[in-house]
Amino acid sequence: MPGHVEVQELVKHFRTFERREGLWGALQNLVVREYKTVAAVDRISFEIRPGEMVGYIGPNGAGKSTTIKMLTGILVPTAGRVRSNGFEPFRERSRYARTIGAVFGQRTQLWWDIAVVESFRLLKKIYAVSDADYAARMREFNEVLEIERYLHTPVRKLSLGERMRCDMAAALLHNPPLLFLDEPTIGLDIVAKENIRAFLKRVNREYGTTVLLTTHDLSDIEELCPRLMIIDHGRLLFDGGLAELKRQLWRDTTVKFDLKDREQAQRFEQLEIPGIRREKLGDLTYLLSFGRDDRPTADVIRQVVNAVEVLDIAIEEQSIEEVVKRIYLGGMSPEAPPCNP
Amino acid sequence: MRRYVSLFAQYFIQYAKVRLSYRGDFLLSVLTTVLATACGMAVVFLIFQHVPRIAGWSFTQILFLYGFSLLPLSLFNTISINLYYFSDSYIIMGKFDQVLLRPVNPLFQVLSEKFRLEALGDMALGLAIVLSCARALGLRLGVWEWLFIALATVCGCALYTSVFLMLTSVSFWMEDRVGVVPPIYNMLAFGRYPLDIYGQFIRFLLSWVVPFGFASFYPTAHLLGKDAYRAYAYALPLVTAFFVLAALAVWSRGVRNYTSTGS
Repeated sequence: MPGHVEVQELVKHFRTFERREGLWGALQNLVVREYKTVAAVDRISFEIRPGEMVGYIGPNGAGKSTTIKMLTGILVPTAGRVRSNGFEPFRERSRYARTIGAVFGQRTQLWWDIAVVESFRLLKKIYAVSDADYAARMREFNEVLEIERYLHTPVRKLSLGERMRCDMAAALLHNPPLLFLDEPTIGLDIVAKENIRAFLKRVNREYGTTVLLTTHDLSDIEELCPRLMIIDHGRLLFDGGLAELKRQLWRDTTVKFDLKDREQAQRFEQLEIPGIRREKLGDLTYLLSFGRDDRPTADVIRQVVNAVEVLDIAIEEQSIEEVVKRIYLGGMSPEAPPCNP
Repeated sequence: MRRYVSLFAQYFIQYAKVRLSYRGDFLLSVLTTVLATACGMAVVFLIFQHVPRIAGWSFTQILFLYGFSLLPLSLFNTISINLYYFSDSYIIMGKFDQVLLRPVNPLFQVLSEKFRLEALGDMALGLAIVLSCARALGLRLGVWEWLFIALATVCGCALYTSVFLMLTSVSFWMEDRVGVVPPIYNMLAFGRYPLDIYGQFIRFLLSWVVPFGFASFYPTAHLLGKDAYRAYAYALPLVTAFFVLAALAVWSRGVRNYTSTGS
C-alpha cells in the first residue's frame, strides 16, 4: 500500500577493523586486522500508516541514518524484513525509488555544478514527470519555498537554507506518497526552518504524504510529528506520542510559589507536607517537587494556599529536551515501560 | 531502452554545457590530450628510423594499428572517467547514496554523470590516422569494413570498461585506493603495438586475462589481412560479452556490499 511502512526485526551489522595508531600500528594493520562486528540497528520493528508524520530521534550514532538507508534501499539489511510502499526496498530498488522521496540534510541530491532548474529538468526526466505535473508542482513549490529566485544559480553557490529548499522540492517533484528526511533542518536558521516545516505540513495535509524524519531539533518533532520513535544503540526505546513520552518520563511535578512577604515565607518553611522536596529560589520564591503519581497537584496547591498567602503560582513544564536528554544519558529508567507493544 | 538513450543524451548535453562554459580550460585540455598522444606516436617514428620492419609489421601497418587503437580507447576515456574517481567521490564522499535513490540503473548514472570530452579529440586523430594509413597501404575500406571498425570500437570500449569496472568494484570492499589500477592503466598502451613483439607470457596476459589485445590488435590484424588472427577477430563479440557479464556480476555484488558513510 502506498505510504505504508512495515519493519520487522530489522538488523544491520557493520564490520569494522580497529586501526592501530602510529607508524608501527599502521604496519601491523597491513598484516593483521582485527575485525569486530557492530550492530548499528538491532532488531527494530515498527509500522507507519499512510499519512502519518513520524519523528525518529536518538543521539549521534544511534542508528537513525542506518535505518533510513535501509528503508530507502541504499543499504541491504543484515536480517529482518522491510515492506515499504508495497516493495522490498533493496530488492526492487529501481521501481521502489519512483515511489519515494528522500532528503539527506548533510548532502545534496542535486548536481553540484549545474543550475537548480537544470537539475530539476534532469529529475523530471528521470522520474518521468509529465509537463503539466511539472508545471503545477513548480508553481506550488514556489508558493511556499520561494525557489524561483535561485532557479538559475548553480547549486554550489546556494546558501544552506536555499539549497535545502531546492532539495526539498527536488525530492517531491514526482509527488511520492512516502518521504524520508534525514536531518532536514540541520544548520538552518530559524526562518528557513519554519519555512521547511510549513512546507512539510502542507504536503502532508494536501497529499497525505507519509513522512519519516530524523532530527536533533526537538522542536521539529513538536511542530510536525504527533508520533515519535527513539532509538539508541540500535534499539528502539520508545514509540508513541509526545504527550505519552512526557507522561512516562515526567515523574516529578514542580510548582513554583511566589509568596507575599517574609512572614509568609517563614510560615511556608515550617509547613509540613510529607514526601515533598522544597527548594529556595529567591527570598520569596520557592519550588516544591513531588512525585506526580503520589498526589494530585491541586491537593498540594490547596494545602499551601490554605496555610500561607501566595502571590503567584506556576506549574513548571519539563521541556522535551530534558526528557530526551535523560533518555540519552541513562536510557529509559526501569519504572517506565520501555516501549509500546 | 529508449528511455536510457534519451536520458544519456540529457546527461551528456548537461555535462557538455558545464564543461564548455569554461572555454579556455576545455580547449587547453583538448590540446594537451592530443599532444600526449602525438608524443606516444613519436616513439613509433623513432624506432622505424633504425629498422624497416618489426615482427613482420611495416611502419605504416604499425601506425595503422596505433590509430585504430585510439578509437576504442578514446571512447573508453570519454565515458569511464567516473570509474577512475569512483572510490573517492562516490564511496568515500558518499555520493553513491543519491545514485541509489534514483530509479535509474546505478552504473548507468555513474558513467553518465561525468565525461572526459577532450578524449574525443583522440577519436578524431585516430580516424585521421586510420584513413591516411589505409590509403598508403592500399586498403579498401568499404561498408563492411566500416561496420567492422564500428563494432570493434564499441566492443573494445566495452572490454576496457569491463576490466576497470571490476577493479573499481573492489572499492566496495576496500576503502583504500586500489593500487593495481595505475599499472593496469599503463597496460592500455601495450595494445597499441603488435602482440607479436611480446613474449608468450604478455601475449597470453593481453589476450585472456586483461584482454586489451582484443580491443585493438586482433581487429587490426584482421583488417590488414593477417589470416592467423582471423579467428580471434571473430571471437571479439564473445570475449566482450563474457567480460561484460563478469564485470556486471562483480559490480552488483559490490553494490549489495555498499556500506555508505557515517551520517
